[in-house]
This record gives sequence, structure tokens and C-alpha cells, in this order.
Amino acid sequence: MTTSRNLRLKLLDAAPLLLLAAVLLAFGAVSPRFLAPANLLQILVQASSLGIVAAGMTLVLLTGGVDLSAGSLMFLSAGVAGWLLLRAVPLPLSLAAALATGLLAGLANGLLVARLRLMPFVVTLATLYVWRGLGLDLTQTRAMNLPEGILRLASARLAGVQAPVWVLAGVLASAHMVLSRTQFGRQVYAAGNDPAGARRAGVPVTRILVVLYSVSGLCAALGGLVAVSQLGAVSPTFGNQREFAAIAAAVLGGASLFGGRGTVFPGTLIGAVLIQSIENGLVVTGADPYLFPLITAAVIFAAVFLDSARRRNLEILHHRKIRPDAGPS
Amino acid sequence: MRGLLTSRYLVAALAAACFLVFAPLIPGIATAGNLSNLLWNMLPLAVVTIGETFVLITGGIDLSVTAIIALCSVTGALVMNGRNGYLAGSAAAAPAAIFAMLLAGVLLGLVNGFAVTRLGMPPFIVTLTTMMFFGGFAVWLTRSANIDALPPAFNRLSGVGTLAVAVVVALAADWTLRRGIFGRWLYATGMNPRASLVAGVPVHAVTIAAYTVSGLLAGAASVLYTARLETGSPVLGQRIFLDVIAAAVIGGTSLFGGRGTVAGTLAGVLFVALLDNSLNLLGLSFFLVLTVKGAVILAAALLDSAARRVLGEAVE
Amino acid sequence: MTPLLLLDGISKSFSGVPVLREVSLTASRSEVLGIAGENGAGKSTLMNILGGVIAPDAGNMVLEDRVYLPRDPSEASARGVAFVHQELNLFPNLSIAENLFLTDFPRRRVLGLPLIDRRSAAQAARRLLDAVELPLSPDTPVERLSQGERQLVEVAKALDRDARIVIFDEPTTSLAARESARLFAIIERLQARGAAVIYISHALADVRRLSSRILILRDGEAAATGPAEEFTEERMISCMVGRAIGQLYPARRPLPPDSQPLLEARGLAHPGILENAGFTLHSGEVLGIAGLMGSGRSELARILFGLDPCERGQILLSGLPIQHLSSRERIRLGLAFLTENRRDDGLLMPASVLANLALVDPRSSRLEPVAARVGVRCANLDRQPVRQLSGGNQQKVALGKWLVSQPRVFLLDEPTRGIDVGARAEIYRIVAALAAAGVGILMISSEIEELTGMCDRILVMRRGEISASIARPDFDREQILRVAL
Repeated sequence: MTTSRNLRLKLLDAAPLLLLAAVLLAFGAVSPRFLAPANLLQILVQASSLGIVAAGMTLVLLTGGVDLSAGSLMFLSAGVAGWLLLRAVPLPLSLAAALATGLLAGLANGLLVARLRLMPFVVTLATLYVWRGLGLDLTQTRAMNLPEGILRLASARLAGVQAPVWVLAGVLASAHMVLSRTQFGRQVYAAGNDPAGARRAGVPVTRILVVLYSVSGLCAALGGLVAVSQLGAVSPTFGNQREFAAIAAAVLGGASLFGGRGTVFPGTLIGAVLIQSIENGLVVTGADPYLFPLITAAVIFAAVFLDSARRRNLEILHHRKIRPDAGPS
Repeated sequence: MRGLLTSRYLVAALAAACFLVFAPLIPGIATAGNLSNLLWNMLPLAVVTIGETFVLITGGIDLSVTAIIALCSVTGALVMNGRNGYLAGSAAAAPAAIFAMLLAGVLLGLVNGFAVTRLGMPPFIVTLTTMMFFGGFAVWLTRSANIDALPPAFNRLSGVGTLAVAVVVALAADWTLRRGIFGRWLYATGMNPRASLVAGVPVHAVTIAAYTVSGLLAGAASVLYTARLETGSPVLGQRIFLDVIAAAVIGGTSLFGGRGTVAGTLAGVLFVALLDNSLNLLGLSFFLVLTVKGAVILAAALLDSAARRVLGEAVE
Repeated sequence: MTPLLLLDGISKSFSGVPVLREVSLTASRSEVLGIAGENGAGKSTLMNILGGVIAPDAGNMVLEDRVYLPRDPSEASARGVAFVHQELNLFPNLSIAENLFLTDFPRRRVLGLPLIDRRSAAQAARRLLDAVELPLSPDTPVERLSQGERQLVEVAKALDRDARIVIFDEPTTSLAARESARLFAIIERLQARGAAVIYISHALADVRRLSSRILILRDGEAAATGPAEEFTEERMISCMVGRAIGQLYPARRPLPPDSQPLLEARGLAHPGILENAGFTLHSGEVLGIAGLMGSGRSELARILFGLDPCERGQILLSGLPIQHLSSRERIRLGLAFLTENRRDDGLLMPASVLANLALVDPRSSRLEPVAARVGVRCANLDRQPVRQLSGGNQQKVALGKWLVSQPRVFLLDEPTRGIDVGARAEIYRIVAALAAAGVGILMISSEIEELTGMCDRILVMRRGEISASIARPDFDREQILRVAL
């Protein structure tokens, strides 16, 4: 391996942290208010919902798939919770129902992808519309104002840090633990790298896929609940295109669209904070709000481009050699 | 059974069967007014779906078509609108605007084509991203306002003009796919890009051309939709996003590439338009219509996968 | 002492082509059975049957006095058959330890959750790595390992399973000398442990050195078997090769002395792939390229055709330098390339015969005459998908598409792989006719007999270099094989 190629790969691996630093510095230069500790903590709180959804997305990306229905699922679950709450169903039950909705929807995605062997993007593109349609029907396209209780939950503090951040921490910690310290987790990486080879080695690939899509659905639901608890209402456009931000956060955090690469911690955390910083920074610096989707799209494009570039470099590196003792390549 | 499953005419047959069964149950479906409405809905949809078919045949997908429709619409309107358009009031406004819209479609298609071939990025995420970008750009350009006061000469394109465009596009596309060398190259690339490359097929150029055609036809569809609406709108096309994908897949164009015909696509467009029409006449809420369409895409994808498995092709 | 493993009358055919014919063998504890044979002799198929990848059509297998018929590799593994493949099954994005224990990590419970016991895993991995003398940390990501090191990890995986039988398939092809010595020590240790070892290799000297008994496969049959002492390398080679030729190959006139040079390669080199490759192909000549799999022959063909880059050297077509031209331009100048694997990059499987024939030159009106000339037999040239044709007919279509544009130079890579005798004879007839018409033919083949039957001259490649050039009068099958090894 030549040193330049080695260096290029190392740089690509460290990209998430470097990008985050670059973004923080850039916005900080334009508006010093951006780097104030209160604002940075605010970014973290705002990023919690996205981070939770992106964690689920990372899991799916690890298998080489994608979950385009995440945003709609955020909306549907929040809608279910709101619908129940407005009918005086107790808070814990409503929340549980919302989470169950996410889990079951994710399960449906997983079964379609793993057992019926349909392409993940087609399945989740279709279910994107199914969930959104159901959600809009449930909410009758009216904004649902949620009872006080939920807002209080969101602003509750533990050790001075707001609840959403703790939920995020919990999600990241458990996902990280499973991925890095359990047999199941390590098998996920094998299945993502080479599904056929993993099957040959005895890894239960189908089961892994079904589980991960279900968890992604659960994370979407949880992320949706965290977000509406901060907003206090479920609007008809809630969660719209949020899956892109989640994909961007995951890919910027180092997850590859091709599978087998990426971490939830610190990867997804950095990615989510990065995206949120961009959104926050654009507001603080008074940028034209119409530019937001353009910038998000450009960021995703850059992230996917880097991912593809890294993959191509790796392929060139590992091409089998006829003359293994020959000189440098 | 096997022959039926893989037949190109499966969908047309299914569509016919479905509607023969359901037509009596749907109030108002057979009225002249409704059928006329149905026809005018189908024509621009057919134009853009034919473009999508080209991309699907190569084994890719273009999810940005509806955003291209929006951006082209806004572009044209900015050129020709009577209030503050670049060519406001001029006789050349309409033709220049049409040219600009088609050109915009071509350029946007080229962007997609290059990203997929030169940068080696997966088509679905490339075109999802460009969908966001082009759509966002259209909204930014107009501050999400519509642009009306389009010249009457342009608006007159709806009606017979639309029919003419749709027929020309369908005939030209069919000829290209069935007779031209480009058509052969398109199918070859979709069936086996490696074998095609070895045999000297310019696989990269063909792929870029497919995305460019998709962009061009999205631009043409944009002309038709904008003329019908008599307004340039930055959210034009959002409503038909699902319809395009569904119609293409249902029409027998495989998501895996190498298959697809204009006739099949037209059958798919007919099916989707009838479905949309029926669901609306039945009084289903807009949202449930979305749900049903999503489910229909799933069913079509399932049929596609099943057909490939029956044919002994790898489904991975 | 009854043998540990007994195979009796194993037969297997693929698409009607017999690959194994009633092969029997035994393997005993603390013994190494060496297996040698040419490419296509049936070694891989036999080992795939043993390893549970495919099932035999006929015959019995008995392991430790019980019937042995594994339905998949994990069953084979469970019965104690460990297989170190030539193609490694490792996951580069995981560490060595994770690859070793992917489905059975040592675990401990923490707060009721089954977590990986990292320390035990590292220790167990360390022990296995010591056994194969790989002094690397168990946490090293596999993507950083060389091919040889990865192979040692595969061996370690096999050791872990406490295997009764360990099969090594071509283990030294990508190993440097030092790594090979380590491997031999491991094999001796396996023997001492009581395992039966099956060692398949082209390196005949190694096979002789390591084995207690040797089996030679030829054309799917057990051609010779016995104690290793009874085999010299010469005897091994002649057992691998000997057979009457028969009337398979068409008679060919010798090359006229004034035949023009058509394709010349000078000093072709690309790091890690080719080194100083050069030759001259004349008009009307059939030039064969012999060599083992992995010796760089297909890579050379791809470079000549323009699909892969080449750092140094020249390629001349009738004196015109073409090394900077794209493959499309080379096709227009008259080059053609029948690739090794028609399924992957030779045919459009869902398309018809005519559609495939039109792939290189879509405007041609000569499609049907060409179909007739190559003798494609199918129900409907225009409608039947090529996927449904027999291997021989498929290969004729893959070949035919190039004939439509009347090439001047034809590169053939394993042109008769996986097709029956009748179709092979027809393809040889076509090749001979092309040569008679002045086309220059480069034929890569792993069957030495095919090369000696068809070619005017044979080049032998080894590790990316052309190590010999043998003219027809000097054809000697055994000598060619010896040079290739």
C-alpha cells in the first residue's frame, strides 16, 4: 500500500470529525454567537431527535440497505400518540402505542426486504407513502396540539441536561453496545460486507435484516416522539424528508451506503450534530430559509460522493495480485 | 402460469380485468366528462414515464423527474410571463420559453447521468438528492410563489397540442427502442453491462444519454403540465411522483434493467390513471389514495421479483 | 486400521458433461493424502462434494464409520471436515479474532446480557495464531493483511474447529516462500494431532514431500494412486497428462514461412500483474498460452484488448501502436475477445441469439449466415433467450458475435470450458477455418492437450511472465506442464 493511498484512506476515515470542526469554525467566523456554549448545547438538544432516527438508519445502512420511510414513520407514530392523547389515553400508554407502531412498520419493511428479497429502496419508498397516507388520514391534515404533559417531559432536566439528550444517549449507548460487543453486532458487519459469504459462514442474515429494519422503525418512532415533545404539536408536514437528513447524518458519520462500514458512536453522533449545526448555523447567520433544502441536498451529495470515492479506492487496493512479491502498487 | 407471469402483457390484462370488474361499482366513471379528464391526465404522465422507462431499462432509476418538471416550469414561466418575464410581451416569448424548458431538462438530466457514471454513485440516492436540490432550487427561485400571466399562445398547447406531443414522443421513443442502435445498446447495458463493455458498447455514454432523455422528456411533460395549469409552479409534478414510478414498474419495465417497452409503459400509465381516477370518484381521501398507490408499487415490485425468479435470474 | 474417510464411486455431471467418473479414495488418520491433476481434472468438484457445497450424483461417502452426505458447508463443518479454500471466506472489515469466532464467540453475561468476552476471545485467538505462527494482534483488521496472512487466518479457522479432516486447496499459490514453510510445519503438526490431511496442489515437489499417499486425477477419473514413494515427479506428470488424442482436432497445414506479423507485444509490464511480456502473433497462426490459473493469462488478454491499463510496453497491430487506444477503437481495428466466462461478460442471457450476435456490429446483415456458420442449434433464433441453450450453443453464440465483424485478431480465453465434446469439435473446426483464412488467433487454455492439438506455437506463462515459447515440432505435453509449474 503506497503511503499516499494510505494517507487518502486515513483522511477519508477522519472526515466526519474534520467536517464538523470545519462547519463549526465556518459558522463561528460569520457569527460569534454561534459558538456560545448555550448555543452549542442547544444544537445538541435539537440534534437529539435526528440522532435517534439516524442511529436506526445507520443500522440499516450497515446491511447495505436504506430506510426511506423513516420520516413518514416519525409522522405516523407521532400522529398515533397525539390521536390517543387527545382522547385522554394516559401518556405512557400513548407513547407505548406510538413506539409499537414504529416497531411493527419497521417489521413490515424488514420482512419485505429480507424474506421477499425486494430492493430496500423500492420497499421503503413505497412504504414512505403508505405510512404518510395513513398518518395524514389519522390526523385529517390538521395540526394536533398536544397536551402540556408532553412539553414538560421534553424540558425536564437531569443533571442540568434536558431529557431529549438523555434519550439520545441511551439509544446510542445501547446500539453501540450491541454492535461492538455482541456476536449479533459483529455478524451485522459481516452480513453487510458480503451477504452470500456470511450465509456460507452460518450467519443468520435474514434474521439480522428483519431485526435491524424493525429497530430502525422503532428509532424513527422514538425520534418522532422526541421531536414533537419539543414542538408541542404534530403538523401535517412533520417529518417530511427527514429521512434524507437521517441518511446524511449517518453517511457523514462514516456509514457506507454499500454496507459493512460505520459506527453509531461516535459516527452517527458526529453526523447528527454536523447536520444540526448546519441547520442551526443557517438560522443564526440569518441565511435565506429557502436555501436550507439546497444546502442539505448539497451536503448529502458530498457525503455520498466521499463514500463512493472511498469504496473505489479500497477496491483498487485489494485487487488480487498475480505477482504478490512484486513491488509497490 | 410461468408464461403468464413473465408476459409483457400481464399488466394490461390485469388492468383490463380489474376495471371490467370494478367499473360498474364506481359512480360516474363512464361519463364523457370523466373520460375526457382521464385522457388529459394520462398524456403528460405518459411523456414523463416514457423518459423514466429509458433509465429503468439501463438498470438505473431517476427519482428526480418530478423536480425537473417543477424547475423547468419555473424556468419557462420566468422567461415568458407577461408581468416581469425576460421576454414579456414579445412574440418569441412562448417558443423561447419552450426551448429553455427543454434545455433545462437536458442539462438537469446530464447532471444525473454524470453523477451516476463518472462518480460511480448509486442511482437511487443520486437522483433522490438531485430531486431535493432541483426542487429546492425551484422554490428558491420563486420564493415558493406561482407565476401566472403566461402568454395565450403557450397556454393553447393544452388540448390538441398535448395530444400531438404525446403521440410524437411515444412514436419516437418506440422507434428508438425497437429499431435504433441506441435502443439495442440501452437493453444490452441493462441486461449485462460487463458483456456490453467487452463487446464495445459505449456503456457510460449510453447511460448518460438515458438520463438525459429522461430529463428532456420531463421537460416536455413540464411544458404540457404548465400549459394546462396556465401557471408556472415550483411544486408542479409533486402529485404525480408515485404515479410515474408505479406506472413504469407496472408497465413491465423491470427495476433490474434490460426490459421495458413503450407499449408496456402506456399500459402502466393507463392503469395508474384509471386507478387514480377511480379512487377519487370513490371519494377516498387524498391520503388514502397515497397509501393505496404505495401498496400498488409494492405489489408491482413483488411481481417483478417473482418474474425474475421464475426466469432463473439472480435476485440479489 | 479402517480409514477415517472413504469415498466410493463418486460421480458428478454438470449439464450432461461428466466431471467426475466413479472416483474412489481413502484418507487415514495422521496421514497426508496428496491430490494432483490438471485444471479441469475434477479436483475442485471432488473437494466441493467433500465440503458439502454440492452433492454427488452417485457414490457413497463414509466418515468415521458413519455415512457422510453433508447438505451444506456447515454440516460438513459440524462433522469435522475443515476446508481451507483457495478463495478465502473472510470479512475484511472485521478483525482476525472476529473472523475466527464469528458464529461462536466466547461470551460472558453482564447484567443478564450476553456480551463478547473480549479477553477470552483474544486469548483463544492468540493460541490459534501461534499455532499457525502468525505474530499479529488478534484485533488487526483483516483488510490490512496480505493474501498469505489471510490464508493463514483461514487455516487457523480450520484448526479451531478441532477438525478430523483438513483439506487444503492450492494453499501456496499466493504465499511467499517463508509463509509456505510455516504452512508445512502446521501440516506436520496436524498430522501429529491425528487429523487426516488432504493436500491439493500443482506444486508437485511439495505434494511429494508432504504426502504419505498420492492420488492423481485425470479427466474426472482416478488415474493412479499409491504410497508417495512410488511417485517421481515425472511419473506424476505423465499420469496427469497421458491419453490418446483421438480425432478431435482438425488437420492443419503448417504456417507458411512468409506469414506477416499481425499482433506484437513488446515488454508489457504492469506492477503486480505482468512483467516483460512479449511475443509475435502471425497472420494465420494459432498461438497458444498455457499456464496455471492465476498465472496472468487472462490479464494479458485483457491488456491486449484494452480493457485494463498497462504501465509499460507496446502493442502493435500490423506495425501500428495500439496500446493507447480504447477497446472500442481496437475492436474497430479488428480485434476480438472471447472472454473466459460467457455468463458474466460474454452473453446477454435474456436476449435472443440474433440479438446477441448483433451486439458488436448492430448494423450488420450477416447475422443469420453467421449463426448458420457456427452451427447454433436452437428453436428460434429471434425469440428464444440464449439462457435456455446448452453450454456449447451458448459458446457458439458468444464466439459468433465477433465473427459478424470479421476480425483480424481473435483472443480466445478458455474457448471450450464447460461444453460437451461435440460442440468442442465444432469450435475447433471454426478456429482452424479462421486461421486458414489468415486470422491471427491467441488461444488461452488450461488443457494442454487442446493446445498441442490446435496450436502452431505455445507460450507458457508463470507468475505474470512468459517463461517459454515452444514450437509445434517440439510439443511435449509433459514438458509444457513442467514449465507451467
